[in-house]
Amino acid sequence: MTDLAAQLGLLAVLGGLFGLDWRAAFQLMLSQPVVAVPALGLVFGHFEQAAWLGAVLQLLWMSAVLFGASTPPNETVGALTAAGIALLYGRLGPVDERTLALAVLIAVPLSLVGRRLDQAVDRANLALAKRADAAAQAGEWAVLERQPLIGLGRVFILHALLIGGGTAAGLLLVWLLHPALGPGLNRVLATTTIYLLPALGVAVTLSTLRRRVPIGLALAGYVGLLLALTSLHGPGA
Amino acid sequence: MSAASSPVAAATPHLPWWVLLRVFWRSFFLQAAGNYERMQNVGFAYALLPALRRLHPDPDALKAAVQRHLGFFNSHPYLATAVMGAALRIEARIAAGQAAPQQVELLKRVAQGPLAAMGDSFFWSSLRPFAATWAIAGLISGVDWAPLGFLALHNLFHLGLRAYGLRGGWRHGDAVLMRLQQFNLPQLANRAHPLTGFFLGVVAALLADQTRASTVPLGDGIAPILTAALTLIFFLSIRRKMPTIGLLYGAVGAIGGYVLILNALFPLW
Repeated sequence: MTDLAAQLGLLAVLGGLFGLDWRAAFQLMLSQPVVAVPALGLVFGHFEQAAWLGAVLQLLWMSAVLFGASTPPNETVGALTAAGIALLYGRLGPVDERTLALAVLIAVPLSLVGRRLDQAVDRANLALAKRADAAAQAGEWAVLERQPLIGLGRVFILHALLIGGGTAAGLLLVWLLHPALGPGLNRVLATTTIYLLPALGVAVTLSTLRRRVPIGLALAGYVGLLLALTSLHGPGA
Repeated sequence: MSAASSPVAAATPHLPWWVLLRVFWRSFFLQAAGNYERMQNVGFAYALLPALRRLHPDPDALKAAVQRHLGFFNSHPYLATAVMGAALRIEARIAAGQAAPQQVELLKRVAQGPLAAMGDSFFWSSLRPFAATWAIAGLISGVDWAPLGFLALHNLFHLGLRAYGLRGGWRHGDAVLMRLQQFNLPQLANRAHPLTGFFLGVVAALLADQTRASTVPLGDGIAPILTAALTLIFFLSIRRKMPTIGLLYGAVGAIGGYVLILNALFPLW
C-alpha cells in the first residue's frame, strides 16, 4: 500500500510537470498523450498497454487545439489520469481490455474539469497582470519577474492535484468494480477497448482534416494496408 | 514601422548574444501568467526585461519601456519571438532617440494577429496531427521510439522558427515578418494534410488488424468492416457537431443495453 501511495505521489509530480508543458511553459509537446502515456509506461511498467493507450488517446484528443484564446478540453489531464488508473491498477490486478476501458471512461470527463481549471487559472492570473503593472510603475523588477513563476506554480499544483486525485479515485472505483463485473459487462468493456475507442479516435482525427483529398488518402491507406495484411495473415478474425 | 527595418545606426545600443539567449529562454514562459484581459502581456514583458535593462540604463526610460510591453498581446507562442526580436530592435532605436515609442506598440498590434494565424494553421492544424499520426502508426506497429520521432520532428520546426524569429527580429526589425512569410508555412501546411490522411488510414488498418488477437473476435473478415462502419458513423456524428464524450458514452450505453438484453434472453450467450 505504501508502494502504491508512493507511485501515486510520483504520478502527481509527473502530472504537474507534463501539465506545465500543456500550455503554460515550453510547449515541447511532451504533454501530448502519444508521448506522455508511453513515458508513464516506462516509469510504472506495462509499456505495451501504455503505448496502445497513448496512441488511442492521442487520436481521441486530436481536435483539442489551443487556437488563439480558446480553452479546449485538457487532454493532458484526461490522458495522464487514464494512464495512471490503468497502469497503477497493474499492482492490484490485470491491465487488460476491461481495465483500459474503465480507465478511459472514468478519466475522459476529467479533461472537461481540466478545462474549467485552466479557465479559472486564466481568471486568477489577472491579479498577476495587475501586480506586474504596479511593479513596473515602481521599478520593482524582482516582483515583476516573480509573477510568471507564481503562474507556473498554480498550473503545476492544479495538474498534480487533479491527476493525482483523479487517479486515486479512479483506482478505487476500478478496484471495486472489477470483481463485480459479470460476463455481459466484461464483454461491453472489451468491445469498448477493441472496437469503440479506436473507431472514435480515428473519426475525431479524420474530422480535423476537412478536405476531400486527405480523407480519400485515409481510405486508400486503410483499404490498401488491410488488403496487404489480409494477404499476409489470411482473413483472420 | 519602416524605420525599424533599416540597418542599425552606430549610436543604437548593442545586445550581446547572452542577453538574447536569456530572452530566448524566457520566451518559453510567454503564457505562464496568461490571463483573459491582456493574454500573454506579463510573459512578453518578462521575456524582454533582461534586454530592456541593457537598452535603457535610465530607470525612468526602463519603467516606460516595460510598461509599453505590459499592454495586450496574444500571438502564437512559437512565433511570438519574431515580435520580441523586432520590438527589441525598435527599443534600441527608441533608446538612441531614432524612433518614437508608438512604433513598438504599432508593431505589436500589427504583427500578433497574422503570426497567430500562421502558427495556428501550421503547428496546431498541420504539423502536430501529421507528426502524431506518424508516431501513432509507429507505436502501434511496435516501434517503441516513435514518440521520440514525433518530438524531434515537431521541435525541429518549433525550436528552429522560435530561434530564427528572435534572431531575425533583432537583426532585421519588422522585416522579419516578410522573411517568415517566405517560408510559406500555409503551403507547407497544405502539403502535410494528405500525408496525415494517409498515415491515419494506416493507423486505422493497424488498429483493425489488432482485433484478430482480441478477446472479442467477430468471425472472418467482419472486424475491418465493422470498425470502418463505426468510424463512419462517428465521423458523420462529429460533423453534425455531436460532442466526442457524448458519442463515447452513448455508444458504450447502446452496446451495454444490447448485451444485457441478449444476456437476459439467452443467459448462455
